[in-house]
Amino acid sequence: MAGLARYLLLRALLIIPTVLILYTLVFVIMRVIPGDPVQAALGTRYVPPEQLELLRERHGLNDPLYVQYFEYLAGVVRFDFGESLVIEGRKIADDIKDRFPATLELTIASFIVSVGIGMATGILAAVRRGSKLDTAMRVYSIVAYTLFIPWLGSILIMIFSLWLGLLPTHGRLDPRISLEHKTGLYVLDAILTQNWVALKDALAHLVLPALTLGIVLSGAYTRLVRANLSEALVSDFVRAYRARGVRERRILLHALRNSLIPVVTMMGLQMAILLGGAVLTETTFSWPGMGSYLLEKVEARDYTAVQGVVVFFSFMVGLISLIVDAIYALIDPRIRY
Amino acid sequence: MRSRSAQSKTLIGVAIIVIVILAAAAFMMRGGEETQTTTTQTTPQTQATRTTEAPGAAKEETQATTTTPAQTPEETQTQAPSERVVVVGTTDKITELDPANAYDFFTWEVLSNVMAGLVTYDPDTGEIVGDLATEWKAEENGKVWIFKLRTDAKFADGTPCTAKDVVRSIERVMQIQGDPSWLVTEFVDKVEAVDDYTVKFTLKQPTGYFLSVVATVPYFPVHPNYPQDKIVADATWGGCGPYMIKEWVRDQKLVLVPNPYYYGEKPKNDKVIIRFFSDANSMRLALENGEIDVAWRTLTPQDITNLQQKGYNVVEVPGLFIRYVVVKTDAGPTSDKLVRQALAAAIDRQEIAIRVFKGTVEPLYSMVPAGMWSHVDVFKTKYGDGNIELAKQLLAQAGYSEDNKLKVELWYTPTHYGDTEDELAAVLKEQWERTGMIEVEIKSSEWAQYVKQLGDGQFMLSLLGWYPDYLDPDNYLTPFLKSTANSWTGTGYANPTVDDLLTKAQVATDQAEREKYYIQVQEILAEDVPFIPLVQGKLYIVTQPDFKGLKVSPLMFLIYSSLEP
Repeated sequence: MAGLARYLLLRALLIIPTVLILYTLVFVIMRVIPGDPVQAALGTRYVPPEQLELLRERHGLNDPLYVQYFEYLAGVVRFDFGESLVIEGRKIADDIKDRFPATLELTIASFIVSVGIGMATGILAAVRRGSKLDTAMRVYSIVAYTLFIPWLGSILIMIFSLWLGLLPTHGRLDPRISLEHKTGLYVLDAILTQNWVALKDALAHLVLPALTLGIVLSGAYTRLVRANLSEALVSDFVRAYRARGVRERRILLHALRNSLIPVVTMMGLQMAILLGGAVLTETTFSWPGMGSYLLEKVEARDYTAVQGVVVFFSFMVGLISLIVDAIYALIDPRIRY
Repeated sequence: MRSRSAQSKTLIGVAIIVIVILAAAAFMMRGGEETQTTTTQTTPQTQATRTTEAPGAAKEETQATTTTPAQTPEETQTQAPSERVVVVGTTDKITELDPANAYDFFTWEVLSNVMAGLVTYDPDTGEIVGDLATEWKAEENGKVWIFKLRTDAKFADGTPCTAKDVVRSIERVMQIQGDPSWLVTEFVDKVEAVDDYTVKFTLKQPTGYFLSVVATVPYFPVHPNYPQDKIVADATWGGCGPYMIKEWVRDQKLVLVPNPYYYGEKPKNDKVIIRFFSDANSMRLALENGEIDVAWRTLTPQDITNLQQKGYNVVEVPGLFIRYVVVKTDAGPTSDKLVRQALAAAIDRQEIAIRVFKGTVEPLYSMVPAGMWSHVDVFKTKYGDGNIELAKQLLAQAGYSEDNKLKVELWYTPTHYGDTEDELAAVLKEQWERTGMIEVEIKSSEWAQYVKQLGDGQFMLSLLGWYPDYLDPDNYLTPFLKSTANSWTGTGYANPTVDDLLTKAQVATDQAEREKYYIQVQEILAEDVPFIPLVQGKLYIVTQPDFKGLKVSPLMFLIYSSLEP
């Protein structure tokens, strides 16, 4: 275990240079692209030149580049990603605090949907390999994988919201409902505060975005589970089990466990990507998460916000990769620490 | 090597740990109620405040909670059954809920509903009428303005709103020097409270349209909780207008309830909820699903047509937004007045309105929009619309021919004004090239770069838009035509006669006299052509079929108090 601990510590330390490289890149890109960030954020609104100068001063844009670089870095260490260029006095860290739980909630829900559907369809396809069902599942995986999220989202909204009137079209909660925000994860908040009206509504709001994203992501799992399980089902140990008269269901369970390793790896990677915010899903459902936030900030030319979010993402991706590596190291003894 | 069952247990264990860690991280990041932007007011008397480092005087009186003490457990989950609630959808965003720095259309609309100014616009007549001020007078030819305030105005927590609050708030704007502060600092030299209910402004120079300026948001008195030296982006203390902010979740919802101490007519609803959408499509679907009552800015022209066909109530609002071409007057071929006139003559605005904007805009023939006093269709009178023959004559006089074509560059920015911009540039090129004597090269650059190039005077011809800061012809003429104020446009236009007329119009207090000057300025504009007006925007509001009480102020702000669910 000491080896594992050392390995994990090393991996954790590797996050630092990763974040630093990414931050440096973003910092440089933000400053070499043409145009004045303050003027761009203001648009054509008239502001006298002397006041423009004051705004640049206030945002530290007149400081030498190295000062800007290290001051920001010092802030990042304290989880301070600077202040918005467009919304004066608004801290980027506060925005992340508000937006990240929405992304986390959607990630968890769509993760459950995608893994659920992906595993079920993959197992079915592998067990009935070569049958019509297998073909159907393979077609499903390709179709699901290539679906365009806004299109699928709109179709689901049309069916479940506009035609059947069962689910809301967008957002996280009916604005008429009050909910005390403890964690920012609305489903969890509703349970914690025993606000059952809010729980029902939050779940109803979660269904369509989670389903949309989940279906699209499930395609990859279907293929992966099918391929690995098919391979496991014809392996020597399965033949040995069969020869000993072990029941098929039990054999399947063993084979499945064996084929899960690459699936778990993919789960981790996918989670890392999802935590960066599912831009298309969030936009389609007006889901106030990190993806839609980044898009809004790019559109508003809020340079400091974009910079902050990218640095935050790099942290998240680093963290999730670390966890994936840890899982991988735990389950695959061939990994050397 | 461990057994497979041990491996799977480890797997499950690690997966659970990951989820728990992430949930815990989210929980810790929220940091309880202290760092939330979700703010709620408990009762009017004990106004809750956002608690994020409330600086200076901003001491919270109660912790932010999500319910009012008077509410029953049932009410904490949904609104009371008899409540008249209106849900308004928008794709706009709120920037800062602070008049010291807010400088965008939608935030000004919200602030106009939760705050009140000394004067305001009558939504029916469009004239300036008293709001917090009951009477006012100009002295020393418009250099000194004295306002008498009403004595019954109060903030949402019952604190009286006096002359001291007006002075403190305006001084705060001057001290903070936020984006719109020039609306105060360019005009006001000194503001003082003569007594509890009298405010005296001493201006830097006499200003005839000062009342229009005073009607803008930076002049609104704010609650004493607003710190004197700092912008508070998520402030919910408000002012003494018809509403107070009950709940604010950035980019998700803003809940307004009537200010119980408001001196004016009581709102026709009990609650207004603003819902924020990431795009027009989700807003349209929410309207169709009955989740919102009103779809405000901005649905697409296609959505508006479809919704109208489905029986939704579509209301057209005359817009104050204008689009125009900036023409460089101090260098290159466009420094020749004949060339500029030819370009103006060849443009067919009707065609632009229909082909590019699908009829959602009106042709515009002056920089002052139609419907505003002093507006004259100067370009129509002088050049007509799409007058190719006149354009050819003018070009010939300037020395151009079909063999010796005028070569011009037209610049646009691809995303800032929406998807139609490249088409607008293409149609303009087509119209100019119809003369057979002009060759147009279209160029574009991204907004940040575009603005810089514009100010540096790098464009021969460029497309731009304008939304007014205050409702007066001055705001459509001075920033463009006065040589000391128009450097940002890069036109290089300077005409001492125009400068003189604009100064006279600024100083004069008599509207008839000012109108005379502005008409003269518009005539010179059509003669000199440093700008070519193109179209004037219209806005659309779509509501549920049976919805009533839609009222828009002359500044195009939705008046929430008249909305009837």
